[in-house]
Amino acid sequence: MAEIETFYEVMRRQGITRRSFMKYCSLTAAALGLGPSFVPKIAHAMETKPRTPVIWVNGLECTCCSESFIRGAHPLAKDVVLSMISLDYSHTLMAAAGHAAEAALEDTIEKYKGNYILAVEGNPPLNEDGMYCIVGGKPFVDQLRHAAKDAKAVIAWGACASYGCVQAAAPNPTQATPVHKVITDKPIIKVPGCPPIAEVMTGVITYMLTFDRLPELDRQGRPKMFYSQRIHDKCYRRPHFDAGQFVEEWDDEYARKGYCLYKMGCKGPTTYNACSTVRWNEGVSFPIQSGHGCIGCSEDGFWDQGGFYDRLTTVKQFGVEATADQMGIAAAGAVGAGIAAHIAASALKSAQRKKQDSEEV
Amino acid sequence: MSESRLVVGPFNRVEGDLEVQLDVADGAVQSARVNAPLYRGFERMLLGRAPSDALTLTPRICGICSISQSAAAARALAAAGGHAAAPQGAAIAALIHAVENVSDHLFHFNLFFMPDFTRPTYAARPWHGRAVDRFAAAEGGAQRAAIEARAALMHILGLMAGKWPHTLAIQPGGVTRAPGPSDKVRIMASLTAFRRYLEETVFGGPLEAFAEIADRDALMGWGRGDAGLFLDIAADLDLDALGRGSGRYLSFGAYPQDCGHAFAPGLWRDGRQDPLDLTRMVEEVAHSWMLGPAAHPAAGQTLPDEDMREDAYSWCKAPRLAGETMETGALARQVVDGHPLARALAGGGVLARVAGRLLELARSQAVMERLAREIDVSARFMDPAPEVRAGQGAGLVEAARGALGHWVRVEKGRIAGYQIVAPTTWNFSPRDAAGQPGPLEAALVGAPVAPGETTPVTVQHIVRSFDPCMVCTVH
Repeated sequence: MAEIETFYEVMRRQGITRRSFMKYCSLTAAALGLGPSFVPKIAHAMETKPRTPVIWVNGLECTCCSESFIRGAHPLAKDVVLSMISLDYSHTLMAAAGHAAEAALEDTIEKYKGNYILAVEGNPPLNEDGMYCIVGGKPFVDQLRHAAKDAKAVIAWGACASYGCVQAAAPNPTQATPVHKVITDKPIIKVPGCPPIAEVMTGVITYMLTFDRLPELDRQGRPKMFYSQRIHDKCYRRPHFDAGQFVEEWDDEYARKGYCLYKMGCKGPTTYNACSTVRWNEGVSFPIQSGHGCIGCSEDGFWDQGGFYDRLTTVKQFGVEATADQMGIAAAGAVGAGIAAHIAASALKSAQRKKQDSEEV
Repeated sequence: MSESRLVVGPFNRVEGDLEVQLDVADGAVQSARVNAPLYRGFERMLLGRAPSDALTLTPRICGICSISQSAAAARALAAAGGHAAAPQGAAIAALIHAVENVSDHLFHFNLFFMPDFTRPTYAARPWHGRAVDRFAAAEGGAQRAAIEARAALMHILGLMAGKWPHTLAIQPGGVTRAPGPSDKVRIMASLTAFRRYLEETVFGGPLEAFAEIADRDALMGWGRGDAGLFLDIAADLDLDALGRGSGRYLSFGAYPQDCGHAFAPGLWRDGRQDPLDLTRMVEEVAHSWMLGPAAHPAAGQTLPDEDMREDAYSWCKAPRLAGETMETGALARQVVDGHPLARALAGGGVLARVAGRLLELARSQAVMERLAREIDVSARFMDPAPEVRAGQGAGLVEAARGALGHWVRVEKGRIAGYQIVAPTTWNFSPRDAAGQPGPLEAALVGAPVAPGETTPVTVQHIVRSFDPCMVCTVH
């Protein structure tokens, strides 16, 4: 196999300073939840290990994952990832075009056989022999199978590749199908979200490079380091939930006070993602902070759970707040059951102290 | 005489999938067929759902112009319910929409369009070294600066819209986030920083000076910044003559508020301005893999032809206005708005489209600054709209790439019809029943092809000059 540059060499060649490089390593360590002692380890890995080649393919999708990646990300993180994918194959970003692009894909597969990571944005539609998504004259599903054959691992970017996302919404006109149902013989890391947070995307790749192994995954196949937190548990509006203080209507008095959005249909209580800690657009904010509930876009099936503004409802009464903590361990789908009970208990506790419901006024 | 057929695609540095089939003879393109090879069926998924689902589903048509889709859906639902947004809510929606459009223009110029001039085929040109220095893929100085400037500008989206892409903040009644005094200061600061970047890097001079350019000679003599580099290249390669348009332009009007649009709606045909009238708009399907009759989008359907019949070649429908193709985009907006430079460039090719985009980039800064200045933190930003039970309406907005319309019909509280016509649906449409080619297909005719070229560089320039968004085109 040909000599592959190290990550650091690639970055240096692109004019990234040592100082910026070290800053990137610190940021990454922080993003991965690792202490400062890991910074030199990350730096060392990037200086000495060969760059992990990445092939990035696009199926049925909206390019939001790429956009999140290259626009929202910290410029350094963006540089790192661009330096990898621009060298190999990415539909949207690469310099070559047309047949040259297809040739570049073949070259990359051949050159890095068994060593590259296949990053998949979007998913294959299987109806009509895959004719709803054609890349280079062939159905995307063929390209996906072909590129996955010699990959070391597959990253399923976003809700599309992980679960199907909105294009799989009923009646799923094209039979859009998540990657793991087509590729069954490779490790698949799901990085869901619509789109995923840029820092989460770069963090996953950097982890795989630094430690030369797959990140630990939860039962749904998501990296635990980013998807083990429930939005609700780390939400800065959580005290208002516990106090039974809720927004009743868009831009009402309670909205201005930053009360909890549960009654506006927020899916934070059933959603596992890093939004409430890492936040979006370089850590500026996240949907709940902008006054709109979470729609649960990192959870399977979020597009077909009834109206996006319906509040989570009771399936079974739990009755005591303690069960709310157990919900953290339960599978996401079952979590909704406890919420209304949870909210009832919380509200009850503070009922003496406040007047919340607008009907009472 | 040599004849050949070329299939160009997939196109990189284009949002989504695109394939162009070219018949080449005597060193030039004789005819072109544009195929959008990706179909998802959003219009079908929306049927039978709660109307408000459109606010979450339609932005996900496109990760690049999700705010445009969201704004169109919100306006369509408001129209169907006979509801008006709170004026300050409409202003914030206009501001975040402008941020997205400006970001797209910047991205297109620096990352999608200009890198083509770094190709080895241009190595002998006097400007080639500068082009490589500024725009080489992922390494050029201009690209690095653009990505950083954009991410900083998008703090406004983070602040006001929670996240980007796929913002949820825009609703039929306004926006979900009421900005406070400190938010206003932060927005203004982000805009000031962005102005500095544009003036130092993209234009190399005051934005107002560029926005005041009134004729072609003054434009070509600008000579400063990355815009100046492009204009030098355009003069050397005669990009004005390459990929010329029909001179027919359509704009739905950008950033609507109670006080009117920041860029006016209307039609420009035969050198004449007409008011926007869509009664004679039809989406044709004669050469599309779609079934059903040609129809106005208010009555239209989306019925994919699973047999992919032989005489069709694209999933894209062919929108026509009074039987004619219309070009839409930044150039169209500026022509329709009556800017003298845009009017002077009307009907032009690659130069006109890219210069129109730069002109709009310069002019939009003032629009955003005004919107930010006018934020009244004591006002209401949402007048909540009840869920629509019955009614129909259209949401017409201007995405970065041009006119975007959503047409919705609600019956018994459920969506009974939803049609979306995106900018690139107009620009990259296939032939209609009369055999009339779409705007890109027409613009490609005559493009020179060098012997042995399989992906003609002139074709790349023309295709990218439209800034296509294929994922929006067929949804």
